[in-house]
This record gives sequence, C-alpha cells and structure tokens, in this order.
Amino acid sequence: MEVSFALTGKDYVIIAADQNAARSIIKMKGDEDKIKALGSHLLMAYSGEPGDTIQFAEYVERNLRLQQMRNNHPLRPQAAASWVRRSIADSLRSRNSYSVNILLGGYDMAENTPKLYWMDYLGTQSDVPYAAHGYGSYFALSLLDREVQKRLVISFPSFRVKVVDAEGVREVDVDMSV
Amino acid sequence: MSIMEYNGGSVVAMVGKNCVAIASDLRLGNQALTIATNFEKVFPVTDRIMLGMAGLASDVLTLRDRFRLLVNMYTIKEEREIEPETFAHLVSSTLYEKRFGPYFIEPIIAGLSKGSNKPFIASTDVIGCINFAKGFVVCGTATDKLFGVAESLWEPDLEPEDLFETISQTLMNAVDRDAFSGWGVVVHVITPEKAFTRYLRARMD
Amino acid sequence: MATADGGAYSYSLTVFSPSGKLVQIEHALARVAQGTTSLGIKATNGIVIATEKKSSSLLMDTSMIEKVCMICPNIGIVYSGMGPDYRVLVSKARKSAQGYWKIYGEYPPTRILVQELATVMQQATQSGGVRPYGVSLLVAGWDLNRGPTLYQVDPSGSFWAWKASAIGKNMINAKTFLEKRYNDDISLEDAIHTALLTLKEGFEGQMTEKTIELGVITVPSEEEIAAGMAVENAGTMRPKPTFRRLTEEEVKDYLAM
Repeated sequence: MEVSFALTGKDYVIIAADQNAARSIIKMKGDEDKIKALGSHLLMAYSGEPGDTIQFAEYVERNLRLQQMRNNHPLRPQAAASWVRRSIADSLRSRNSYSVNILLGGYDMAENTPKLYWMDYLGTQSDVPYAAHGYGSYFALSLLDREVQKRLVISFPSFRVKVVDAEGVREVDVDMSV
Repeated sequence: MSIMEYNGGSVVAMVGKNCVAIASDLRLGNQALTIATNFEKVFPVTDRIMLGMAGLASDVLTLRDRFRLLVNMYTIKEEREIEPETFAHLVSSTLYEKRFGPYFIEPIIAGLSKGSNKPFIASTDVIGCINFAKGFVVCGTATDKLFGVAESLWEPDLEPEDLFETISQTLMNAVDRDAFSGWGVVVHVITPEKAFTRYLRARMD
Repeated sequence: MATADGGAYSYSLTVFSPSGKLVQIEHALARVAQGTTSLGIKATNGIVIATEKKSSSLLMDTSMIEKVCMICPNIGIVYSGMGPDYRVLVSKARKSAQGYWKIYGEYPPTRILVQELATVMQQATQSGGVRPYGVSLLVAGWDLNRGPTLYQVDPSGSFWAWKASAIGKNMINAKTFLEKRYNDDISLEDAIHTALLTLKEGFEGQMTEKTIELGVITVPSEEEIAAGMAVENAGTMRPKPTFRRLTEEEVKDYLAM
C-alpha cells in the first residue's frame, strides 16, 4: 500500500513518495524517507517488499558511489538507469530476487535536460515524462494524462457526456477549461 | 494472467519486392494500465537487419542488450556484418540456451541479404524454434488479429511505399482491436539503397 | 639458449630464457622439422593440400592412416610433426566447427576455425603443466566471405595465410621449388601436379597412392552457392562439401599423369 509519483518539468524532475512504514494493518512509522539521493543530480524513489527496498536501494547507492570514485565522474541518468535495470533484471532470475519498484529521476548535466525513468521489479524500464507506482498510479496517471493533454494536438475542445441512472439518460456539461 | 501478455505489445514484419518492413506498436502497460506510449520493440542489428520482440518488456530490453553484445563480438571477430539467416540462427540458439527457463519474448527478424539483396523474414517461439516464413510474420498480444488483417492485405512483390502502407494498415487495424497493444506504431522499411523509419499515430486510447 | 642438455629452462614450463626466447617452442618447431613434408597450394578455382605418408614397417596397413582430415564440409587440414598431437587438434577443431554450426546454423569461415586452432595451440605455450603441440598445420578452406584460403599454423599459435607453403622435413627446398613454380593464375589441376612434383623433390622411396595423401578444396559454382543459401533449404539442407580427401584411385590417376 505504498505510492510514489514523479514528473518532469522544463528543467526539473520532482519526485514524491509516501512516508508510511506499515505492516499489515498496522502503521509503524509516519516519517520514513523512501527517496534516496544517489548523486548530486540523481534521485531514486523506491517501494515494494519491505526488506528488499532498503537493501537494494543501499546496494545501488554504494555501487554508483563506487563508480563515481573510480572514474572520478558520476554516471549520467540514462547510464545509471541502465545499471539499475540490469541489476533488477539479473536479480529477477536469481534464486532470491529483489521485489523493488523504482522511479529514477535525474538532471543530465551534459545535455541539460531532466530525465525520468520508470522501473518495476521485473526489470521493465521506460523513459517517461511522468510516472507513478502503487495504487496511486491508477489515479495519478490519468490525472496527469489529462493535464498533459491540454498541450497535445489531439486535445479536443469539448466532450459530450451523458449519464444513465434511475432517472434515465441525460446529458451533462463538463467544463474543459477547468 | 499470462506473463506473455503482462506488458502487451505486438510486432509484424513483411516481405516486399527487394525490401522488407517491420513494425511495432508503442504501448508499455502493466496489464490494463498503460505506463508509457513510447516503448519501441524493434531494434537495429546492422544497417540491413532489424529485430523486433514482443512479450515481457524486461526481457525485451535484456535481449536487446544481449544481441547487441553478441552481434558486436561477431562483427569484430569475423570482420564482416552478420547475415539475416545467420542472425536468425543466433537468435534461435540464444533463446534455446534457456530452454528450461526461457526468456518470455517472441522475436521477429527482418533483413536483406548482402549479395543478392534478397528479403528475409523469420520468427521464433520463446525457445527459439525458427519459422522461416515467405510473406509475413507476426507476434505479440494482437497475434490473432494481425494474422487476419495481414492475410487479407498482404500481396507479393510490393514496392517499398506500398509495403509501408500495407504493414501500417495491418498493424494499426489489428492493434485497434487489441486492448494491450496500440498507442501509435513505428514502421521501419529496409531497401537495398536506404532504410527509413516512420512514426504513426493510431487511436490514442 | 639451446644447449646439448636442453639448458636450464628447457624442462620446466614454457618460460622466457634470459635472451628472450621460448626454448620449448623452438624445440617444438624442431620436432615439426623432423616430420614428413606437407604442402599446400592455392589455385584460382581451389586449393590442394598434400603430404607424404611414411610407415615404419612393411606390415603396416597404410590404407588406415589418415593424415589429411576433413574438419567440416568446407575445411580440411594436414600436418607435419607429431601424429598424436595432430589427432587431438583435429578432434578439437571438429568439435569447434560443430559448436559454431550449433550457434549460427552454418560452418565456420576458414579464418575463424584457424583462429580457434591457433588459440588452442597458443594456450599450450602459456598454461601450466603442458607442453606446446609438436605440429604445424596447413588449413585449406572455402567460405562465402573470403573464398578459398590456405593457412599455416605453428606451435607458437601464430598463423599466416599463404598462396603456397610447405612444412616439415623438406620445407626449405619445397618452398624454394614452389616459389619457382607458383603463379597467380594456376588452375587446381596444375596445382595438384605441382604439389606432386614438389613432394617428389627429396622423396625417399617410391611415390605411390599408398605413400601420398591429397585433399582438395573445390570452389563451388554460383548455382551451387545459390542452392545452398536458398531459404527453402534453411535448417534442413546439407551443403555440398567443398573439401574432399582424394581416394587412392584418384591419387593413382594423378601420379600416372
């Protein structure tokens, strides 16, 4: 029952995650931080199987730090995402895999662009403008779809909406400007 | 719930007159929820060969990387580009390596042979059993629909532009009837002179 | 630093002597130089490889000895040096060719197989507890990519492509002879005769179909290549072999000509 969101703007990525540490119906903690800074320009929100999440997040954190120390240069978001994905994909086919879902957001200093990657525990990766994990994704994605639609060419000026209920069929007005 | 249908997506390839075309949809989903609409499933192997994969998105990415590695090693070792037939066998043996714990993808290979410019298409199942087809091959969640549309639209010896039209219409009409594929398509056409790629918008719902 | 007793480094693993030599490899080459002569000539439409078949006793059934071996339908090899070492290499080469076929659905180009063999031979110069192979090889093959090619592989693991080459006992003389006789537009038939003439130089005893072995690569015609590549045949077809070991009757005919 976790949720995390992220979206890219013109020159930023913003990530949000819930703060609950819960087990079954009991909430243990309400101030958990589920977003790790993996570098000066890289953030990772993680959710999933309780033990796995922290173990995996720290594994990624330490390895990316090691890469940075060895090469005297941090991995760019695309490369870091690729590395994290491969770690998850390899783990999936091992005897005990990490069940961790990830949102990896970073700012590419070389290209001066924000980057956001959606990843799940299967090792699926996608480069997206906005993303969400957990039950929240069912709401957030459709909401964001609607917001972004305003700026797309297929944005229709109006919709005809009808309702059928105990009273019968009727038409309702939806104010698209809202 | 089948793991082959978890992410959705479809690929199709067709033979034309001295040309081949391969196309995929762009959807990435988690069952009924669409995650992204820019997920391409066709990748270049050489200038004259393309590989399309439908199935579990994680394996699509893993195998895309693996085949890139294998083909790079081949090119360096053999000092030549791999041929479509040879690449099809490489795909087959790579998949069969995991006979008892397979990658959950079905690949499609499309390309032109070096000397003769002969068009080549093939597909395999998840464990690499090759299907050398004559006209067209399909895979993914819209397989059934693709077979139907392709069967009625495809004809032999189409010129590149006509082949492009045929494969585009085939894929777009098939994915419109499949809830797990769609959200636009990408089409690649390879001819002896050049290769071109076009992105098409379909029903975006 | 090859002294009479072999020197301080000779009986250990293959290690550098202070002068920078690998004495074990030089000894291996010396062993090759004692072996019977083998040679190969590349022609415009094929390749011939040939060797002398020596038996230590009249009672030996020489028809059972095979020094010219097919590795895969498009590659054949011959050797000078130690028979047992050659047998092991042939078996490794055949296995490698089948391994290649299992992955790519076709037999390896000559160069790839040669590289594989050379790697095996090189490893014997750097691994612990082993000695280098006591053979030099002549590898003749045909492939779509490079056409007919003839390679020589030495115990060190180095290899070269040749138009014509000789290894073993009479290699110096044989090579001089080949240099005189070779020209770039020699036909396969002429090359076979040149091969026999070259072997004749410094041949001890009678040259007969019992004491000579020949193998040929024949470049396939356009039609044969097209048939081999047809998609209809993919997976099921067996390409027509381009390498062939000549029978005793065929060798006899060539000797009579």
